[in-house]
Amino acid sequence: MALYIRQVAEVTTERRWRTFADVVAFTLGTNVWISIVILPAAFVHAVHGAYMLALVLPFAVLMLGLVRRSEGILLGLFPAAVLVPVGLKAELASSHVYGPVRFALVAAGVIAYLFGVSFFTTFHEPPAPRSVRPLSSAQQGTAERWKRRERVYWMLMALAIIFPTVLIAWVNFDSHIQGFLQTMYPGRVALMTTALSAGAIVLWLAIFHYAFLGALRPHRTGDRDLVTALAQARADAKSGKPRGRFYLAVAIALVAMFGLILLRHL
Amino acid sequence: MFLIAIGKWIRRYFFEGLALLLIAGSLFFFKETLNYLANRDYVAALLVMVIGVAVISVGKEMARLALVQRD
Repeated sequence: MALYIRQVAEVTTERRWRTFADVVAFTLGTNVWISIVILPAAFVHAVHGAYMLALVLPFAVLMLGLVRRSEGILLGLFPAAVLVPVGLKAELASSHVYGPVRFALVAAGVIAYLFGVSFFTTFHEPPAPRSVRPLSSAQQGTAERWKRRERVYWMLMALAIIFPTVLIAWVNFDSHIQGFLQTMYPGRVALMTTALSAGAIVLWLAIFHYAFLGALRPHRTGDRDLVTALAQARADAKSGKPRGRFYLAVAIALVAMFGLILLRHL
Repeated sequence: MFLIAIGKWIRRYFFEGLALLLIAGSLFFFKETLNYLANRDYVAALLVMVIGVAVISVGKEMARLALVQRD
């Protein structure tokens, strides 16, 4: 009987957390969708016709992510889907739609969504322990290396907030950049500003992946992915043959050269 | 035995030379990218840049093979 009650309690706690995570993701995701897609579209009078499909797409993806409770959809596909209507109509992201205050509010909404989804969908309250036995190592407190690691994680989170926000704000609100775009691309300033903002995001993702996560990778221990990658690297080294990416690079170079020839002579 | 050692030695320096040549040679493609950009030929610049990155990648693989020969 006691075991049954305990199981029911665990299920109830789990359900409660899942419902809470769903509500957080729905509320913050809808806020992101409305603030980045719907309000700017209404501002530039674009809420009509076939473009409505593009406007509804991010919300549909958000719903799909919630139904499937998939972090990949909620953290990857939904932000990408939000960019689809912006990509089709670049005016949605232009600086006359976003003033600095509105930009700050939208940025805070996006950060809250990403943080909320990544934290609450993976956070689970552990069930109450059946019995507790203190271990001698637990008396010594958290080891210094774990404290260091936690500090690094907090710094990475701060960087992931500051860098893209500053880069996008710089592209959109720096008078020199806007002046340059107006001189170089008259009539296409909104398009070029949106392209530069997308470029800033891509640049940051590349820097984060290679410079920050890349530097941390060798220090991960007990990581199944890393152990597999190391075993694969050893096997590759023993074979003494080029890896698949060698042939891929050669193929890409050949295709690009062919494209260049076509561009020059057709 | 001696011939095998000589073969390994030649292979190692061949791969090292090839890696150096490819990585240094990729600079030419990036220089061409800048020229195309200066002429506002953006598609050609993108294509030449892709070629440069691909050449660096091939050079990196050659360097890895040279390291394997050294071991």
